[in-house]
Amino acid sequence: MKYILLMSGTKAGVETYKAWSPKDIQAHFVFLHELNRELRERGELLANEALADPNQAKVVRAGKSFSPVTDGVFPESKEFLLGYWIVDVETLERAHEIAARLSGGPAPGGGQLSMPIEVRQILSRSSEEFQ
Amino acid sequence: MKYILMMNTMKAGSAPFPNWSQEDVRAHIAFMIGFAGDLNRSGELVSAEGLAFPEEAKLVRAGSDGRPVTDGVFPESKEFLAGYWIVEVARPERAYEIAARASAAPGIAGAPLNMPIEVRRVMSAPPADPA
Repeated sequence: MKYILLMSGTKAGVETYKAWSPKDIQAHFVFLHELNRELRERGELLANEALADPNQAKVVRAGKSFSPVTDGVFPESKEFLLGYWIVDVETLERAHEIAARLSGGPAPGGGQLSMPIEVRQILSRSSEEFQ
Repeated sequence: MKYILMMNTMKAGSAPFPNWSQEDVRAHIAFMIGFAGDLNRSGELVSAEGLAFPEEAKLVRAGSDGRPVTDGVFPESKEFLAGYWIVEVARPERAYEIAARASAAPGIAGAPLNMPIEVRRVMSAPPADPA
């Protein structure tokens, strides 16, 4: 079964990451890199992407004659996706285990972050729901 | 440049297509399949996924022993990701054009939904490979 693990944060939360020391950032990226390698070796990692800074985010709607109308103003409470992992695992519990590993990445000065990771099932394209 | 186009249109506890006729749902899905096919043929589509309805969504955190601690209670205002497209385009304006097309997907009786599509840059490589 395919699950997506979504790492999100508010704009204010993203700003706190920017205040991390280079050493703390490096330690966190080393952790993510090692975890990705482990998941890839187990054949569980299908895709992984990191998104750019939410400062450049736009919301687009179709205007007249389908021309795009863009808006870049968001409520403070809005959660922005920071990155995601798509994993192929046997059980939901395994997806939760991987999410817990991601959640427990190193925080500044040691200890674990415990950031929330949203876990959702992915519909495969052959899903009967879309027949 | 890679951009992700996100439909953050799902709400907790609401039906996926409230008050839609079967015909409307079918037309919507046919549009989505055709839309992805067009992007595939133009060489702009990198990947696309549809997510399952969020009733089984969980937030997972690492407990103090690293085990997953799950929470399935979300604020009513929370927007859930319904699906996304990643496109490779030369400039952001093209990503906005594509997003506007997705925004105008047909809804009830074929009327354009004009749903908001969040457009974000995707980082092309994982940051800071320590190897």
